[in-house]
Amino acid sequence: MAEKILTRNFHLPGSHTLALYRETGGYAGLEKALAMKPAEITEAVKRSNLRGLGGAGFPTGVKWGFLPKGHPGPIYLVINADEGEPGTFKDRYLLEKDPHALLEGMIISAYAIGAHVAFVYIRGEYVQPWRIFSRAVAEAYEAGLLGKNIGSSGFDLDVIVHRGAGAYICGEETGLISSLEGKKGWPKLKPPFPAIRGAFGAPTIVNNVETICHVPHIVRRGAEWFASLGTKTQGGTRLYSVSGHVERPGVYELPVSVTLRELVYEHAGGVPHGKRLKAVVPGGSSAALLTADEIDVTLDVDGLRNAGTMAGSAGVIVMDETVSIPEALMVVARFYAHESCGQCTPCRESTGWIYKMTRRIIEGRGRKEDLDTILDVARRGAGTTICAFFDGAVGPYISYIEKFRHEFEALISK
Amino acid sequence: MNARGAVKVEFTPEQLVEVRRLQGLYPDRRAALLPVLQLVQDVFGHISLEAEEYVAGLFDLSPAHVHEVVTFYTLFFREPKGRHVISVCHNLTCHLLGAQQVLTHLKKRLGVEVGGTTPDGRVTLLSVECLCACEIAPMLQVDDRYEGNLSGEKVDRILDGLA
Amino acid sequence: MVKLTIDGKEVEVREGTNIIEAARRLGIEVPHYCYHPGLSIAGQCRLCMVELGNNPRPQIGCNTQVAEGMVVRTDTPKVLETRQSIMEFHLINHPLDCPVCDQAGECWLQIYYMKHGLYEPRMVDEKVHKPKAVPLGSHVILDAERCILCSRCVRFCDEITGTGELGIFDRGDHSEIGLFPGRELANPYSANVIDICPVGALTDRDFRFAVRVWYLDTAKSICPGCSRGCNIEVHVNVRRPHHNQGRRVARLKPRFNAEVNRWWICDAGRYGGKFVDDASRLGAPARGRGEAAIEVGWEEMIPLIASQLRRYRPDEIGVLASPNMANEDLFLLRRLVDHLRLIHVDFRVPPRTPGDEDRILIKADKNANTRGAELIGLGPRPGGLDAHGMLRAARERRIKCLWVFHHDLLASAWPEAEVGEALRAVECFIYQGSNSNGVSTAAHYVLPSAAWVERDGTFTNFEGRVQRFWKAVDPLGLSLADWEILGRIGEAFGLGAPPARAEDCFKALAASAAPFAGLSYRELKDTGKVVAA
Repeated sequence: MAEKILTRNFHLPGSHTLALYRETGGYAGLEKALAMKPAEITEAVKRSNLRGLGGAGFPTGVKWGFLPKGHPGPIYLVINADEGEPGTFKDRYLLEKDPHALLEGMIISAYAIGAHVAFVYIRGEYVQPWRIFSRAVAEAYEAGLLGKNIGSSGFDLDVIVHRGAGAYICGEETGLISSLEGKKGWPKLKPPFPAIRGAFGAPTIVNNVETICHVPHIVRRGAEWFASLGTKTQGGTRLYSVSGHVERPGVYELPVSVTLRELVYEHAGGVPHGKRLKAVVPGGSSAALLTADEIDVTLDVDGLRNAGTMAGSAGVIVMDETVSIPEALMVVARFYAHESCGQCTPCRESTGWIYKMTRRIIEGRGRKEDLDTILDVARRGAGTTICAFFDGAVGPYISYIEKFRHEFEALISK
Repeated sequence: MNARGAVKVEFTPEQLVEVRRLQGLYPDRRAALLPVLQLVQDVFGHISLEAEEYVAGLFDLSPAHVHEVVTFYTLFFREPKGRHVISVCHNLTCHLLGAQQVLTHLKKRLGVEVGGTTPDGRVTLLSVECLCACEIAPMLQVDDRYEGNLSGEKVDRILDGLA
Repeated sequence: MVKLTIDGKEVEVREGTNIIEAARRLGIEVPHYCYHPGLSIAGQCRLCMVELGNNPRPQIGCNTQVAEGMVVRTDTPKVLETRQSIMEFHLINHPLDCPVCDQAGECWLQIYYMKHGLYEPRMVDEKVHKPKAVPLGSHVILDAERCILCSRCVRFCDEITGTGELGIFDRGDHSEIGLFPGRELANPYSANVIDICPVGALTDRDFRFAVRVWYLDTAKSICPGCSRGCNIEVHVNVRRPHHNQGRRVARLKPRFNAEVNRWWICDAGRYGGKFVDDASRLGAPARGRGEAAIEVGWEEMIPLIASQLRRYRPDEIGVLASPNMANEDLFLLRRLVDHLRLIHVDFRVPPRTPGDEDRILIKADKNANTRGAELIGLGPRPGGLDAHGMLRAARERRIKCLWVFHHDLLASAWPEAEVGEALRAVECFIYQGSNSNGVSTAAHYVLPSAAWVERDGTFTNFEGRVQRFWKAVDPLGLSLADWEILGRIGEAFGLGAPPARAEDCFKALAASAAPFAGLSYRELKDTGKVVAA
């Protein structure tokens, strides 16, 4: 069994408390980090091959490197705790079970990028996680881990916990920034990128909860150690959220070199009731579907990209042989139609249209040309919008139909 | 009551102190709009048009811009809701594991359609997108709480616990 | 300056220019909906896609600034296909009701569909339904189903007027523009949202269903509503006289002038042209007061006026010119006044209520040409009386002949009784103007003027910018441009043959009045010139 890093304390009662976090070695990374130069930390994060674990998989250290050098004004660190990708729930566990790990990661990261204010944007539905995390923030302030002159290092950091109000798009980093600024969660035009002009017009780094939780370990145990846990292009472990038709749904922390088959069958116990596996969504609902024959792939960013899908948020949804793929697509299409922010025409108009088509097919009113229309609209809309939301919807639109076309055709010819 | 038949929306001095604190927390006070709207909803139960205008005044924003925000997010209620809100997840994993049956059961037990509130004002029933608790699918949110691995009996027990 | 290549053609533009504007310089149109040069970049419509260098994915031109050596293509198969796709997306939920849409003929969905769309429609599902024919205010009406959510109107109210009345509510394909419930779109510039709306979502309550736009003729003009001199277009309907209730002026639209009004005009100016087709227009010269008034021809009227002017001593005649007369008119009047050695000359009449003014366009001086009247010199001569003094002198029968241009003195700041008494007291009251008003009915002689849209001319705005306006329709009835009337009267006094064209008056003005020296119509171009003031 691989070493557990982020989840090592999950099983301990009181894992969310400062006392327990400290007892198990917490905040040791911070102590070490504050003795380092900020640039050394960024370098270590680069060398560690840590990649964004919210969905995009962008190398974290490289992202930090986009910040303007010697910027005179404020720089902000924003933690994306707007977990919303269907099939994903690992950040909820981190917030509830190990909030100090996130805080320690935030302090180190803020120190590295020169931020003195950090925001944590937690989805509005996450009331318990918000309460638990807010308590941890209060504890950290009391213990002098936040506020002025942290650990007598001269470094100051304030943490502001901000709650969302119900919108998937706020998980997109610039949609999140808009929402944090008190607006609709409309993603922003790029350029400028947030690292140049982000929250409140200041250079801003937006990182996912899990990504930042890794940072103390990278500092404490070294970039090389972290890199060695993964593949050549992605270091560390990651938390896989496994749900659907498996014996043991839940969060699994595994090196990114694990295969999807291993995850489903060995860790999550395989498909229950002796049913056969039909398909797996490997990286949250925006990732293209893999059939039962396609699960011998490693779950790192590049491995899944090569398999024509994506690691995304590592939300793994397992479907057994009883699942109607057209119905599943209708459910997914409903989600994208509901969550499109409405800003860009291609996404706003076609998510609704495609949902109507899938619904019509399920209701037995499908037309022969519908499938090709959906595929064509998805392909034509891909890459035409401000953010990647629609590209995310294209993953399921195309893969569900291409890989299970016969199921759709059977419904249409009925 | 005013002309539109709604309760007058106005914060107490203590609540106004909280508004000012929230506005001072951020580099730009507009960033406190979501927290203040959340406060409105906590205090008044929902966000009426009067409340939107009131909040617009607190932020020196046009009411249209507050309305944009209120209508964008799903957690803002523009109509009075029940004492409890049950939101059943209908996204993929929950769908695979029986969300539809959970919803049907709830509709029957409560006698309301999705979006409706029981006549006694006890429960508002919603059907929502992924709440990111797929490991306990099918699941729902009842007020602040997540409840998962739902069965008919478990749903009944949850309902019995709601005043 | 930055040099780049667009579709193989090199162009040099200022740093910070975007691709749409750079391409425009080469005469290459990059189609777009949400981009407007007067508003912030929204990047929502996604239509202005171009290819940049080797980037395989087309990018939007509006949010791409030029860079040295940049290679842009607006005509590749990929760009054309993307445009076609985006057009289809724009039209998925758009009603197919062009025949009953007032925007038809000037709708950018129609125009771009023909140029860039032309796809086989595939949408068979029920379209999203939204509110239709919703009045937003006194001028603007909304059809939310026709809206393509480009957000131009929202940005206009946020960025230009700062009033923020409009928003985009809800999300996904249920997004719709609108007002906060119960509010109105009532800012003084509200109707500009109609102009910048690229589709039939926002239409003009005053204009809609009055005339089909393809029956309209257009002339460049200047708004006479205040001393700003906003550049406008006059849209007239003469081809279908039975439409628009017989009104020839169908609408006024802003015309871009970077120095004066950019893309905008105020509502007061936009709807201020109604007097042109009003029942109060004076259609024929007339003599005799009230019931006794008789219409006469100009050949009879001109000698009558000349003989009246000869009857009185110069100090018994008062001339009250109008700051709404064109420079050409004022110049010929000045020439006549000088010739007759009249001393009681003025053009200033204080309004009853002071005009409103703001920091955008609206000026408190509601006259088009105050500056022109000042520069041409229509004030009192040495020993002469100003306007108020003339009225007093008229009451005291020291002034016996009063010639009033356009002013409705009963609507001035002066007491009505005083004005009435003065007009009754004079032996000869000549009124020259386009419309009848409180004082014209008291006139012994009425000289009907053509309205500004019925003639050529120039106004000088508050900052001394001389701007041309062009004739859009023929003068009503027998009315003539003020300069023509004055030219004919001048002829009766031996001042030579009347000028044939407004331009001739302007030439003479440029030759004799220092501030206008060296100017010509050609020199003024479409956007005018500031004269040394």
